[in-house]
Amino acid sequence: MLSDAVTVFREDAEDAVRIVSGMLRRGEGGEAFRERRRTIAWSATEAGLLSPAIVEESGTAVRVTRGKDSLLVAEGGDGPESLREVVREASRRAGGSPFFKTKAAPPRRVDPGPSGPDEEGRATLIASALARALPDPRGLSMTLAIARVTVSRAVVTARGFVPCGEATRLEATGVLRRTGATRTFAFQSSAPFASACDALARALTEAARPVPAHRAPEGRVDVVLSPEAASVFWHEAVGHPLEAEGGERTSVLTRVARASVAPPGYFVTSDPTRRELPGSYLADDEGTLARPVPLLEDGRVAGVLTDRRTAGAETNGHGRCGDFRRPPRPRLSALTVSAGRASRDELLDACGGGLYVREISAGHTDPESGRFSLYVESADLVRRGRLGAAVAPFVLTSDVLTALRNLWGEAGEVSAPASGLGLCVKRGEPLPVGGASPAILLRGLSAVPGRP
Amino acid sequence: MTAPADTPFEEVLAAASASAHDGEGGEVYERRGAALELVEDEHNLHASVSTERGFAVRLFRSGRTSFAASGAASAMSLPAEARLLLSRSRTRRGARPAPAVPGAATPEPLGPPVRPDEIAARGLLVAFRRALAAASDGAVTLGEAALTLGARTERVATTAGRDVSFQSASATLVATVSARTGAGRASARVVAAAARPEELGLARLAHHAVDRVLLPLKGRPLDPGRWDLLLDPLVAASIVARLAPAFFGEEEDGFLAARTRDGRDALAAPALTLVDDASAPGGPARTTHDAEGTPQERTVVLERGRLAARLTDVAAAQRLGAGATGNAFRRAFSEPPAIGVTNFFADPSSGIPPLDLLRSLARGFYAAVLLSRPQVDLAADRFRLHAAGYWVEKGRATDAVSETLLSGRLSELLRGIEAVGDDLKFIPAAGGGAGAPTLFVPKWKG
Repeated sequence: MLSDAVTVFREDAEDAVRIVSGMLRRGEGGEAFRERRRTIAWSATEAGLLSPAIVEESGTAVRVTRGKDSLLVAEGGDGPESLREVVREASRRAGGSPFFKTKAAPPRRVDPGPSGPDEEGRATLIASALARALPDPRGLSMTLAIARVTVSRAVVTARGFVPCGEATRLEATGVLRRTGATRTFAFQSSAPFASACDALARALTEAARPVPAHRAPEGRVDVVLSPEAASVFWHEAVGHPLEAEGGERTSVLTRVARASVAPPGYFVTSDPTRRELPGSYLADDEGTLARPVPLLEDGRVAGVLTDRRTAGAETNGHGRCGDFRRPPRPRLSALTVSAGRASRDELLDACGGGLYVREISAGHTDPESGRFSLYVESADLVRRGRLGAAVAPFVLTSDVLTALRNLWGEAGEVSAPASGLGLCVKRGEPLPVGGASPAILLRGLSAVPGRP
Repeated sequence: MTAPADTPFEEVLAAASASAHDGEGGEVYERRGAALELVEDEHNLHASVSTERGFAVRLFRSGRTSFAASGAASAMSLPAEARLLLSRSRTRRGARPAPAVPGAATPEPLGPPVRPDEIAARGLLVAFRRALAAASDGAVTLGEAALTLGARTERVATTAGRDVSFQSASATLVATVSARTGAGRASARVVAAAARPEELGLARLAHHAVDRVLLPLKGRPLDPGRWDLLLDPLVAASIVARLAPAFFGEEEDGFLAARTRDGRDALAAPALTLVDDASAPGGPARTTHDAEGTPQERTVVLERGRLAARLTDVAAAQRLGAGATGNAFRRAFSEPPAIGVTNFFADPSSGIPPLDLLRSLARGFYAAVLLSRPQVDLAADRFRLHAAGYWVEKGRATDAVSETLLSGRLSELLRGIEAVGDDLKFIPAAGGGAGAPTLFVPKWKG
């Protein structure tokens, strides 16, 4: 859950603003970025929790832009001395030599540490979730890393201190093996901890089911995507192609700006203000206040996600970075899709024969060509509008424009948060992302049996 | 390496050793790193320079372990935090602090690593842009090139007497390329990694990038059938990379046990020997010690198709009753060590020139590039490669193939390898590298 109580960087905020203001010369733009990340992690197997770990990481970066060139200088530590050090280095590289008055460092906040009753209770909740998910682990082998991660970020500009927010999430990644099959597992939730553990238990229960022997049909197929699976589709098919990168014509959707690409009634928005979803923030990692950005409006391409590099002062607040060492880039936050009026039965009925996809574990899009792949972990056959047997994992592929054109005109009646939507990795940089979508019917995708 | 006056390493080690008389063991790890990244696109040049200094402490007691890590400012509190977590850990056989390395001299405290050379880095980006233009005759556009040069120094000491320090460097070039022809558009990311910037192989990467975006646009699809199969080193390396976990001493050995009848049968054809070697020429890893401070060695895990050894860290070696092979790996100071690879590759020492392999193809497919993530499931003994390349007849490439699916039983593919080339190449994999020469599989039914 996102909180606006970013207290950790406020102690020297005034001083920091002064330092950043003094660093920038005429014609330069830039800011300082501070991050603190606290992780309490457990390794786990089918037998339960094994080894605990606690990690505190923090860092400071300054970013300076002059004309077409930009510079980022980063180092570990988030205190006043780290800020002075990175500003010194950035100025040195620009040929300057700033002078700082030495000030006594403010006292550090005392952290409750890993021994507190809260942490004991959280470990018990995780252990209980594992026990519920795997009541009989015979025949199953699991290697999982489960972590509660709290990330605090703030941007210091020449004008002021901008908190990005403090977000806490529960993550789990690893591998589950049964005789004859291996599957990767990825989960994250920003819900309150007890609810997140319940969601983890449900996701693990689903992932631990034996792989169905029934193969998915091969070739062209009509597919109903559950709300969870539909969130991944929108992320890959609409979100990534509308991240502003490399000019206006490098993506299949930016080349058809304002064109009608999907049936009327579909509204897709990247909304970082939805605090209950992973990927939300108060301000982006460049200090621009978060705001919803429509991507599809009534089926028409309506917007592009931008940062300062791609839009200058017109940025719409989607400059995000994986950590303080990396420069921000235009990235998705939480993608929300408006609900329609169809019930699940109506969607299945309209599908007739095909597949009902419950879970997509990963996806990939080439924005240039528009080809995308969705890796389906859990799905059922649909026959005469009714759910049939579960099928083995398979891959769905198509291209973005064809898939959107063949989208059925009516979406499901509930836009549900996708609790399992995990980290989005682009250029090797993982970022939490969220989504909320109704179920949808897509016609004419290509199914290829097998698991990635 | 010079000794800064303020190093807290010894103090952290002393704090980690405070309960040694109660049977508690400890390990302290320090990493200092420096990195330079240059990102160049059509309009902008972005430079990032970063430095880091991090500490990690592991405590061991009666098979229990706990881990704590932080930057230098909070390092002194790590032993106490790890001690509080230790009681909640569960017992695991083999967990213990690493013993002393015979003959190792006590290292000096770590100094900061040498900062990467920015001028040389800019020169590499220019050279790659030229290599790509030359390889594609201007048909392929470089969207973005990101060059990262890193250097780090590390030190590991345990309460059992180990105290070693070591240093390493790395270079990675990631390029996003695109092409547009009458058949459509395509873009792709290609990656090269090496232990030294001058070993990146820019011309080879440029040719690979051109094939990756142009082949899908200019060739025709190939339906599955029975023909000879030649796998380019970079395609073969992606399969080798996914085989590596089967040889981790930590892993369930279901795949190896099932496919070799508990080691009685061969896993692969005699042409295939798999090796992990941190000093392999051309490999992205070049280190002397692993993340637990164990000296690294060349480990043959599969010799002429037969299981020969496992890759281990200290705990797995203890469980297996063997010596540690030096395969403990930390992606970052903030992660506990786990078993990984250094340079894991198919040995090309008995290989023949790839052109000779090409000539031996009567009628077959040369898989030059992968179009999507390779699918290899060890437990299910299945693989699937979505590849593009060339149709070959009587040793000559006759047509470009825009895409085809190569799939089947992994064990059949491994047992079908008749010959290997002598052209070992590496791809980045799991913190180290995976490599292979050209592989020849006759009469493959895909």
